[in-house]
Amino acid sequence: MSAGLPPTGAADQSGELGEDENLSPADRARAAEALHDAFTRLAPQGSDAWNFLAAFTHLGDRYGPYHPGASALSDALSTRRSDGRRTGPLDRLRPRRDRAGRSPDGEKTDLEEAMGHVVEAFRFLSARVETLESRLAAQDRPVDGAAWLVPARDLGALAGPVAAHMWALTPGGVIVHADCGEGDLLRALHECGAEAHGVEPRGAVALRAIERGCAVTIAEASEDVTSRPDGSVGGVVLSGVVDRLPLHALVPLLAQSRRVLRRGAPLVVISEPAAAAAARDAAARDLVDGVPLQEATWALLLERAGFVEVAPLPDRTGQDGRSALSAVAPS
Amino acid sequence: MSGIHHFVPVLHRGDAVGRHTLRLREATRARGFRSEIFVDTVDDDTAGETLPVLSYPESAQPSDVVVYQFATASAMAPWLAGRSETLVLNYHNVTPPELMAPWDNHLALGQLRAQGDLRLLGPRTALAVADSRYNEAHLAASGFTTTAVISPSAALPVASATTAPPRAGSRPHGARWLAIGRVSPNKGLESTIAALAVARAHGDPAATLLLVGKPATDSYDAALHRYVAELGLAAAVQFAGHASDATVATAYAGADVLVVTSEHEGFCVPVVEAMGAGLPVVAFDQGAVPEVLGGAGVLVPDKDPYALAAAIAALLRDTPRRDAVIEAGRRRLAALALDSAADRFVDLLVPLAAPAPATP
Repeated sequence: MSAGLPPTGAADQSGELGEDENLSPADRARAAEALHDAFTRLAPQGSDAWNFLAAFTHLGDRYGPYHPGASALSDALSTRRSDGRRTGPLDRLRPRRDRAGRSPDGEKTDLEEAMGHVVEAFRFLSARVETLESRLAAQDRPVDGAAWLVPARDLGALAGPVAAHMWALTPGGVIVHADCGEGDLLRALHECGAEAHGVEPRGAVALRAIERGCAVTIAEASEDVTSRPDGSVGGVVLSGVVDRLPLHALVPLLAQSRRVLRRGAPLVVISEPAAAAAARDAAARDLVDGVPLQEATWALLLERAGFVEVAPLPDRTGQDGRSALSAVAPS
Repeated sequence: MSGIHHFVPVLHRGDAVGRHTLRLREATRARGFRSEIFVDTVDDDTAGETLPVLSYPESAQPSDVVVYQFATASAMAPWLAGRSETLVLNYHNVTPPELMAPWDNHLALGQLRAQGDLRLLGPRTALAVADSRYNEAHLAASGFTTTAVISPSAALPVASATTAPPRAGSRPHGARWLAIGRVSPNKGLESTIAALAVARAHGDPAATLLLVGKPATDSYDAALHRYVAELGLAAAVQFAGHASDATVATAYAGADVLVVTSEHEGFCVPVVEAMGAGLPVVAFDQGAVPEVLGGAGVLVPDKDPYALAAAIAALLRDTPRRDAVIEAGRRRLAALALDSAADRFVDLLVPLAAPAPATP
């Protein structure tokens, strides 16, 4: 059937994208995986509505009644069943039930079958509840879908001092930078010898960081932090994310950060000056509830979240007006 | 007189199975057989072409052949399995439920039912016709013993490349990628979007993607929209939704490349439509796509967005190679002989409908 066709089928596996590109295969592979994971995380695994619909569809006729009136055959089957007559080939799929008690051929009664369906439905629904609850707990709803509109700054000159601070205090383990941008801090941490992982919701920005050799997940900070085990992280740096999240989302983020940090591990919050809120573009301002907080407010929030030794970063540069507060998970 | 009748849960004029069923009926009637299309759900747009399935028993003859167009779960399956006429199955594939489950339990449940229907019909079917070898293998795995392969007669007549605007070569714009088909999880459209992000970051910052097709489920569609936004592609990706045949033809004519990143395809009609439109195809090496392409396109062996972006860039940069792929596509399309597919299908049905010769 395909005789005589030229061998045009195989792609050029050299994989050259642009003239000046020199990506290592490892960086490409990690970036491809990050792109894949960023989409996979968006799968809802069934919303409440879909789960209920599926469960109760399962209780009904084999092909309905989720589209009442859509299937002439299903409708005909329902009518015949209510007559108690056995008239069509579809009826062969059903046990005969002439009375409320056990059917003549020993099959389940109407009541037994109905209860079986109910039990099955509750099993189905309860299995979903845990998933739904955990998903809801991880959602920072107010900014869901808008993070990439916010033009967060990279750390720039702050990267070095912050990296040195984290490296000095960390008890070991991965240091997480939320809203890592193109990875300035991640690279600085790496140069110190630390294991660093970035989280960045703006996919295109994250891609550049990954292609520069950084380990980055394309996600919201809360998604990444929530997924980590208790006491598994050697340090957390929150920047960018703290300027766009509303207060009621910041509080659980701090609590989750506290949960995942090892004893004595540092947390640094880097925030824009309050005046920066006015400089945001209109789209971001419309969609994002977060407003940069005063340093004193941050200190209060960190203490309420259980952190100790809350203080301005000792080596904070302050050249660009950003505030950097340091805190430590209690030993 | 025997009839050869066609059964489909619902007849949509705009989808591949609907077009195929209409052509089969015309080819059957052209051979002098009584032939009607029976449906379980009446579509207002095609009501004049169809009869309700429950009216069939009134005119049924024991020597009839009933051809069931199988692409989804339907009460038609057990109903036909319980009848005595000669049953022929035309298999257009069932998407594995595991591809749907993360996005829509309801859709996944439908696919599970369809798989059950297929197993139910296996022992009752005199002949099962698949539209690709890939689908034929599915039939064999589901218990069908007598099978054949005939391509679907459903490709959309699209504008020829000679009438299309100039493409590639000295493009003043970025590459115009096109993806056509239902916006469904099995289509793997996120891979196309990811590759577009890579392409725009590496050498083609003005590349765009047009997605044409009706969403199969809101959750997947919404996730694609969010993914596009997260990757900073909101201005580069257009979701066109369901489109008329004319709009689809215009989309083919205005694109530089058809990109197919499906996880699972039983045939992939857009591939042959692109061949007819003089559009090169770059696809993942998955499902029936390599078989349908028959070497007349570019296959990317693993699901790597960098490899896909590189393959597209390389093809569009190399005009002689691109032209060779397009020419190979035209030859491949001719070899598939889709115009005669309906007649060849009916060739298989006629012996089943003809009365057995009398024995002395």
